[in-house]
Amino acid sequence: MALLEIKNLTKSFGGLRAVIEFDLTIDKGEIVGLIGPNGAGKSTVFNLITGVYPPDSGHILFNGESIINRKPYETCLKGIGRAFQVVKPFPDMTVLENTMVGAFSKVEKAGDAQIKAMEILDFVKLAPKRNLLAKNLTIADKKRLELARAMATDPSLLLLDEVMAGLNPKETEDTIALIREIRERGMTLFIIEHVMRVIMTLSDRVAIIHHGSKIAEGAPKEVAQDERVIKAYLGEAYVFARN
Amino acid sequence: MEMLLQAIINGILMGSVYGLTALGLTLIFGVMKVINFAHGSCLMVGMFASYWFVTLTGIDPYLALIVVVPFCFAFGYLIQDTLISPVFKREKGVREPFGVLLLTSGLWLVLDNLALLLFGANFRSIKTPYSSLSYQIGDIIINGPRLYAFIGTIAGAYLFHLFLKKTVMGQAIRATGQDRDVAGLMGVNVYRIYSVAFGIGIAITGFVGGLLTPFYYVHPTVGYVFDIKAFVIVVLGGLGSIPGALLGGIIIGLIESVVAQFLTATWTAAITYAIFLAVLFLKPEGILGLKGEW
Amino acid sequence: MNRFSLTSPRVYVPLGLVVILFVIPLVMRSPIFLHLMILIFFYAYLTLSWNIVGGFAGQVSLGHTAFTGIGAYTSTLLFIQLGLTPWIGMFAGAFLAALMAVIIGYPCFKLRGAYFALSTIGFLEAFRIVVENTNEVFGIPIKGAQGMEVPLRGDSLLYFQFLDKEPYYYIILIMMFIALYVTYRISKSKFGYYLLAIKNDLEAAESLGVNIAHSKLKAAAISGFLTGIGGTFYAQLILFIDPANIIGAYLAFEIVFIAVIGGRGTLLGPILGSFLLVPVSELTRVYLGGTYFGVHLIVFGAMLIVVMLFLPRGINDSVLKIYHWVIEKLERKGSHALEGVASR
Repeated sequence: MALLEIKNLTKSFGGLRAVIEFDLTIDKGEIVGLIGPNGAGKSTVFNLITGVYPPDSGHILFNGESIINRKPYETCLKGIGRAFQVVKPFPDMTVLENTMVGAFSKVEKAGDAQIKAMEILDFVKLAPKRNLLAKNLTIADKKRLELARAMATDPSLLLLDEVMAGLNPKETEDTIALIREIRERGMTLFIIEHVMRVIMTLSDRVAIIHHGSKIAEGAPKEVAQDERVIKAYLGEAYVFARN
Repeated sequence: MEMLLQAIINGILMGSVYGLTALGLTLIFGVMKVINFAHGSCLMVGMFASYWFVTLTGIDPYLALIVVVPFCFAFGYLIQDTLISPVFKREKGVREPFGVLLLTSGLWLVLDNLALLLFGANFRSIKTPYSSLSYQIGDIIINGPRLYAFIGTIAGAYLFHLFLKKTVMGQAIRATGQDRDVAGLMGVNVYRIYSVAFGIGIAITGFVGGLLTPFYYVHPTVGYVFDIKAFVIVVLGGLGSIPGALLGGIIIGLIESVVAQFLTATWTAAITYAIFLAVLFLKPEGILGLKGEW
Repeated sequence: MNRFSLTSPRVYVPLGLVVILFVIPLVMRSPIFLHLMILIFFYAYLTLSWNIVGGFAGQVSLGHTAFTGIGAYTSTLLFIQLGLTPWIGMFAGAFLAALMAVIIGYPCFKLRGAYFALSTIGFLEAFRIVVENTNEVFGIPIKGAQGMEVPLRGDSLLYFQFLDKEPYYYIILIMMFIALYVTYRISKSKFGYYLLAIKNDLEAAESLGVNIAHSKLKAAAISGFLTGIGGTFYAQLILFIDPANIIGAYLAFEIVFIAVIGGRGTLLGPILGSFLLVPVSELTRVYLGGTYFGVHLIVFGAMLIVVMLFLPRGINDSVLKIYHWVIEKLERKGSHALEGVASR
């Protein structure tokens, strides 16, 4: 059974059709990438999965169970974690406290939450900064905290929304390595990314979304050669020139 | 039947006054996204300014407006510049800036009770030759000063509308209200606009105060009543919407006046709150659903 | 020097302060002074209760006196009609207050920021006006705006009434410490972390498994419950309740101001704020008040403005800094003394 099954997902906002009959299946242990031009509907797909708003039609099955009318806190408790595109740390709480909030989703006592949070912070190498207030962190650290917090909820599926945005090359390399390690811990990853190189190296499979529809899916190499993809990203002229 | 018609007329007359008060409040919110809890107190200040000026110089209260309105503008400008601005700047990035709200509520307490201390708890009023003047249409009696106040508010609202649409300052205010960052990039001194807008909001309140003194009692706590009504109206008409404020004002005035025919005044107030809450929960953009039309 | 031994300033200074508070009535017998202290503790208690919703969860309620009103009226009515001792009536009132907090909270919490604050005022004002204009409920007189007197029983522990100030002093002091303890336990618990998360970033909190509505309502219920008990205390202290005071907007704002001036969301802020504001405002009331009802409010308002301009987080941080400086000085003195002994 697939971990996440999305079938025929459709969502419109007023007159704007954001997601149109989107299909995707993600198996346990995979890293699946979602790419597409700005405004293609990527974050909307994430929002639909976590339950920020309900779809107009279609199914989303997580471990065989429908999660369509669930609220974000419920999908989290079911095992879907999320790191946001625009980081949302709890500014007036420390790095440790931030992570503990995530840990509390699975434990009751503060002591246990702290232990769990420290373990994650060690893993993402943020432990030395654990007593800093989140608002005083650098962007790279904030992104890392976002990741740590989501991981602290013990998800089986982790949704990463453009976690590389705004990082310099070294920071990007470090994050790529970290994501690989996260997969080794047993988490399944669904990643939205703009930085092509990153998504192509990390993903087992990639799906391309354009104007709300999936226009291609497959192994990174195949998809990169797909004409529709090239057209979407680089425009008709490029395809024509290539031919 | 005549009673009802009389009530309706009175409701509209008074409602326009409420509406103009609310207009000042909604202007401030529309431009600065600030809720001014001291708005009623500023009305009270305007009324006292009018009262004292008239009492000391014997000038007609409507003429006195020439002094009262600029005074209130200066008062508002000063408050925004010295008190609100620092807090506002500090909370620029904050999602739910409570600092200014709390500050204005502190101002409310200070102004109202300072007035109590300085002027005492007596109810005062201004006597003019036309205070008891009334016009009669059929069986309907229209009180002179109330009618003048109504005319004044309509004129004031229209002038204000012209100001916003036609003058450079007015356009700058609208631009800042719509997008302060872009306005700043266009060369607008955003903080000065805030002070001007706030000053205008208070000036409008002073104008209303001056219109009220010929027929309404002057008392340190008079502002509280208008304040609550102004908030109800602003929520009713949509925060930031000027036509909404005026229409909302008239609606509230009508409700007050007509319902008072059947229930006691205080139950009428309870109904006003009930409407207020209903709108907040069911349609926070305002029953008239009018968006700030800048 | 052992950190937790009685000789460590970290232990004996706070302990000493607590002991002083308990010993005061034995030393200072002036009823006026004791009344002032009672007021300080009372406001601190109300603010500590408010802090759970307004400080921790960040939901600034400007209508909290709805709960003091329910508490006071419930226990007093039960006393008048059934002769039930306010000690028990107190809990009935508190439960009703908690219930009302949840009922009001349910729609209000859906609103954000200023809209939420406005809605709490709306409820408070509506509630007060209804009470002011109601003389009877199901045949039970509540006397509307006139207010009700609490039946006199003289000096009676059973009926929560005393002729002297001392008993009231100790009761409210203990209540204050209980409220402090409750807020302390919450701050260290999962619930407390969740409230703080909600205050910091609602969306992020939700994505981490926080049931927002549930947490907010729980906070409202606890806060309402405690505040309701405060209402009963007030009724038994003053022996007279009326809507203008016990369901008053001024009192509701005073609580918020104390919290903000003291430090919204901190543990000791409400107590510090109360110790600062209440004496100053009482002095103002005594010397300048005369027949003017709200003169002390000028002080409240002015202090709030000053704090908002210069110390937006309240005085809590500054006071704690001074406190720790004193502690460290004492620690160093202590260790020097020990060294002196050891080197002989």
